[in-house]
Amino acid sequence: MAHIEKDEATGSGRVIDPIAMEVFSNRLLSITEDMGNILIRSSFSTNIKERRDCSVGLFDGRGRCICQASHMPMHLGSLLGSTRAVLERYSIDDMVEGDAFICNDVYLANGTHQPDVSVVTPIFWDGVVQFFTATVGHHSDVGGTVPGSISGTSRTIFEEGIRIPVIRIARAGVIDIDLMNLLVNNTREPEDRDLDFRVQVATNERGGAMLHGLVRQMGMTAVANAIEDILAYTRRRLLNRIAELKDGDYSFIRYMDDDGLGGDMVAIHATIQVRGEDLTIDFTGSSPQARGAMSLPDSALCATSYYVVKTVLDPELLPNSGLFDAIKVTSPIGTITNPRFPGAVGARSITANKVAGAILGAFQGLVSKERVMASSHDSVPAMVFSGQRRDGRGTYVYLETLGGGNGARFDSDGMDGIHVHVSNTSNLPAEALEHEYDLLVDEYAYVEDSGGAGHHRGGCGLARQIRVLEDGIIFSVRSDSHIVTAPGVFGGYDGHTARLVQNHGRPDEQLLGSKVAHIEMKAGESMRIETGGGGGYGPPGERPLPLLAVDVRGGKMSRPSAERDYGAKMVQAALDEKGT
Amino acid sequence: MYRIGVDVGGTFTDFTILDEVGGGVNYFKVPSTPKDPSEAIQEGIAGMLNDHKVAPEDVSHLGHGTTVATNMVIERRGSTTGLLTTKGFRDVLEIGRQTRPNLYDYSVGKPVPLAAREHRIEIVERIGADGGVLTPLDEAGLEAAVETLKAAGVDAVAVCFLHSYRQPDHEKSARAALERLMPDAYISLSSEVLPEFREYERLSTTVLNAFIGPRMQAYLDRFLARVSDLGITVEPYTIHSNGGLMSVRTVRETPVRTCLSGPAAGVVGATEVAKAADFPNIVTFDVGGTSTDVSLVHGSRPLFASTRSIADYPIKTPMIDIHVIGAGGGSIAWMDDAGALKVGPHSAGAEPGPAAYGRGGDEPTITDANICLHRLNPVVLLDGRMPVDKAAARRVVEDHVAGPLNLDVETAAHGILRIANANMSRAIRSVSTERGYDIKEFALFAYGGAGPLHAAEIAVECGIPTVIVPQEPGTMCARGMLLSDISLDFVRSEIAEAGEDTWHRVCELFGTMLEEGNTWLEGERVKKEDRSFIRHVEARYQGQNFEVKVEMDEVKPDGLDDFLERFRASHAKEYGYDIPGRAVEVVNCRMQAVGTVPKAPQQPLAEGGSLKDAVIERRQVYFGDGAGWVETDVYARARLPVVVPFQGPAVIEEMSSTTVVLPGQSARVDRIGNIVINVLQDGTA
Repeated sequence: MAHIEKDEATGSGRVIDPIAMEVFSNRLLSITEDMGNILIRSSFSTNIKERRDCSVGLFDGRGRCICQASHMPMHLGSLLGSTRAVLERYSIDDMVEGDAFICNDVYLANGTHQPDVSVVTPIFWDGVVQFFTATVGHHSDVGGTVPGSISGTSRTIFEEGIRIPVIRIARAGVIDIDLMNLLVNNTREPEDRDLDFRVQVATNERGGAMLHGLVRQMGMTAVANAIEDILAYTRRRLLNRIAELKDGDYSFIRYMDDDGLGGDMVAIHATIQVRGEDLTIDFTGSSPQARGAMSLPDSALCATSYYVVKTVLDPELLPNSGLFDAIKVTSPIGTITNPRFPGAVGARSITANKVAGAILGAFQGLVSKERVMASSHDSVPAMVFSGQRRDGRGTYVYLETLGGGNGARFDSDGMDGIHVHVSNTSNLPAEALEHEYDLLVDEYAYVEDSGGAGHHRGGCGLARQIRVLEDGIIFSVRSDSHIVTAPGVFGGYDGHTARLVQNHGRPDEQLLGSKVAHIEMKAGESMRIETGGGGGYGPPGERPLPLLAVDVRGGKMSRPSAERDYGAKMVQAALDEKGT
Repeated sequence: MYRIGVDVGGTFTDFTILDEVGGGVNYFKVPSTPKDPSEAIQEGIAGMLNDHKVAPEDVSHLGHGTTVATNMVIERRGSTTGLLTTKGFRDVLEIGRQTRPNLYDYSVGKPVPLAAREHRIEIVERIGADGGVLTPLDEAGLEAAVETLKAAGVDAVAVCFLHSYRQPDHEKSARAALERLMPDAYISLSSEVLPEFREYERLSTTVLNAFIGPRMQAYLDRFLARVSDLGITVEPYTIHSNGGLMSVRTVRETPVRTCLSGPAAGVVGATEVAKAADFPNIVTFDVGGTSTDVSLVHGSRPLFASTRSIADYPIKTPMIDIHVIGAGGGSIAWMDDAGALKVGPHSAGAEPGPAAYGRGGDEPTITDANICLHRLNPVVLLDGRMPVDKAAARRVVEDHVAGPLNLDVETAAHGILRIANANMSRAIRSVSTERGYDIKEFALFAYGGAGPLHAAEIAVECGIPTVIVPQEPGTMCARGMLLSDISLDFVRSEIAEAGEDTWHRVCELFGTMLEEGNTWLEGERVKKEDRSFIRHVEARYQGQNFEVKVEMDEVKPDGLDDFLERFRASHAKEYGYDIPGRAVEVVNCRMQAVGTVPKAPQQPLAEGGSLKDAVIERRQVYFGDGAGWVETDVYARARLPVVVPFQGPAVIEEMSSTTVVLPGQSARVDRIGNIVINVLQDGTA
């Protein structure tokens, strides 16, 4: 499992030529930006094209990641896993120019979940594999029991779509049509998948051509030297940040409401161990693996860990092996943070955000007060409606993931209604969805009183209420934090929990659980989700009066709640102040 | 008769005056007056008319570019703004697309909404996607809401109801109530500002329009008064974000259209100048003190973007697609604690500025590096008006970079330039590949104070074969004002599968927009023979959520098949494939109404003179990479002979800018006065 040992090859030596390194670094970033642009422009899957749920990377001949453009934190280091899987399966001597390898499987090829399919291409110079180019994209469907290939109730990986171990999809520049047919016909959209896989192969080739241009411009020796510098530099920069932390072990437990199939709360127990320049994140003490599809596989766990380290210690740090090798991530097998084969993993996004929340919580003990952030809602609620298309051509599936409250910080309130941590997905405009489907958005707004009170207030959760206009529309939801709140820090109050309400405001109004599947709805019925708020920072009594006044006047806090949390006298004083 | 262009910048206000008969162009500059920008405009025009002995009534055209609206948004100095919106949706303005602004950095917050939550009032009403009324407008609630906004002291009100682009009646009722109860308020309806679907972008654009509306009126009143004080009788035009001009009347209604106009005139000017020089494909490269603007021009037409943000507030209005990079002459070089040398994003700006300018700057900037290497004149700049402290430049480079890295000052300064150039090159490459173009087919059009200083090396780094440096690179925006046409964009959303019925409706919409366009052009005093209309249909394959722009020469009832064919071709060009057999959906109909403004041809320069006579001095200039210090000819731009090639290394100086030609490159002045550098003839450069 996630034993990413310190690779002495990325060294800790000093940078030899900082000027050449910086120039080189810009040239590398140009290549990954170019590859990312091509991948996004040419792909058909909306996940890749619009949500930019894809990443591209460059690797050296030894499989070290030199540069990655990650549009999704969930992919941090995941291309490293794919490239390693290729090198474990095939010898470099067996590769020829024009080969390309494809893989997705969580257990066979270090995947993050089955819809994320990677393509890895060896790049030759002077007859030797000097680099790999790699791309990964979240494809709309890879088969399995449900459209989209993700269901919280899947129990094994076999229900989650086609398992692709590392296979050679192109030989010497020619795509293997037989294999391609096998792959794409195991998905619900064979034409789209065929196109998208070919786009990934072509994007890697384009990256290879640009690497060739780079070597021609600089010479292979200069390129090799600059790679050593860039890895050593990234590592050194991160080690400097780690060395500034206090030595010791710091733990934080974040809970999920259940494991996707009801039952007890699930603990995610993160411990950060700091010893000088060594940083280990360990998940011993976390609950057993989920019965459903909510366990977080190795490569997604590492990605989440890298994400938090980058966010807390150095947001601008380049994502390459210098970063990945400098930290160690461990978790016992058979747990929610390291499932045993053949456990399902498709719905692991919520778990990943809870893991991020747990690691961020553990960092609260390690960093100065100025860099602490209270807990966020740490979820990725997803609502799914499906029904007949208006034109009668089959069914539609409308999936919306929602933001929630962000934890408050030293100098600011938590952001209201945003995607946190491993996801950052746009909403579908009400006007767009009403054109497309027989659905009506009744409300899309902040949830009153949802942000935890404090010197700085936690961000508000989001309410989204959708009414169905036809009988027989099927509704499912994957959500969390309906029981568990987002803890405040330094005396700040917790953010409010999420909830799901059917027919809000009608006599037959009903509160539902956080994970429901296949509810059949009648015309006129509605579903309302209210996502959780973020935790507050510092005691409420220290909140500046003008900010409190804005909250109450604008209605992000009701007057009774404000009086409960801040005291009637303080609220009155805030509202009496002039010019607020 | 004379035509005048004015560009109000942060530090200087630039002017150009064109003699319509003789074709001669002259330039003028005065310090800007940020408190009332029209003050500098009046002073500058008066000075220029006086200098060139032009009577004010002989001014036949006055085009002006202003950052008044832009600055109001950036500094949040607009009016107290209220919003009336559909019940359930007042928070859309804050929620936006529900994404966080920075993936990894939670200290980057969302922008504060321009209408406070307490001033955003929900009205009971609802229109459906097909334009039908689902819930009638609650008139009593509307009146109560207006009274609330009035009592709260709101000066401007935005109105944005769901699906109003399809059915604007409820918004019109809101306008009537506002006009009756708040007669002094500035009113902005989303169905008028941007009748296009997707509520957040329409809402944001409408609120911005309201936010800047009242103060923009006040500015325009002052501006008009000053122009009329000067005795100028012609009505002035203002440049807006699509690079076209519009009348003061139109600016009053939709000031938001000027928000991203700052650099647009420069791109229009660059496009026209390059076209005259036979370069239809260019990358514009405008380097100022703190930032660099880059855009693509293909086939002598600037590329457009539909959504851009200003201070993180999205605006959806057709605009020239300009990318801003946080690197300019004032960008600071610094070392981090892991041993890397970085340039920017922090800038010394105008104050304290580069160390060599002696205004208190004590950190090494890109400008200081250029002075250390003698690329910029190490003694004096701005035609002798600004002394340069070369010792100070060397000192800061030594202390902050050369010393810590154990390098000599030249290598360190050259390293700063290499890194700055690498940063800028990366941005240029990204702009081109994002739109699917091969940058090798473009020329680099360099302007702004520092663009020509870096262009030759940037072109080498990016593999661009040619650099063009126009005359007076520092005043390109004012010049662009004289080369712009009058234009305004119209849009209608019509979202339906492209069949005969839909096409019928599309034809009707273009008919309506044509009427509106003609009415507008009439109001802008454009004669019939000078009018033209550019039509686009935005469409997509069913299931997609992004649109492809399809240019239509005309839209006629039997044109559906022609449209579908064009759509497939456009999709293939944009994304590399099309999908035969899949249904196509029309989304938006767009029309640009254009009033062509007569432009004097670019005057050819007189031949004669010699290179020898153009040499000011020979000085040592550092070129690095094995070349080191090289004895280099320094030319006075005004004295360079036309179409006589000269070899690099060379430095060409003029008042507002300096051009560098690398060893191994050659250059010449073309017939209309541009410096054209042949970049790639020597692989070692």
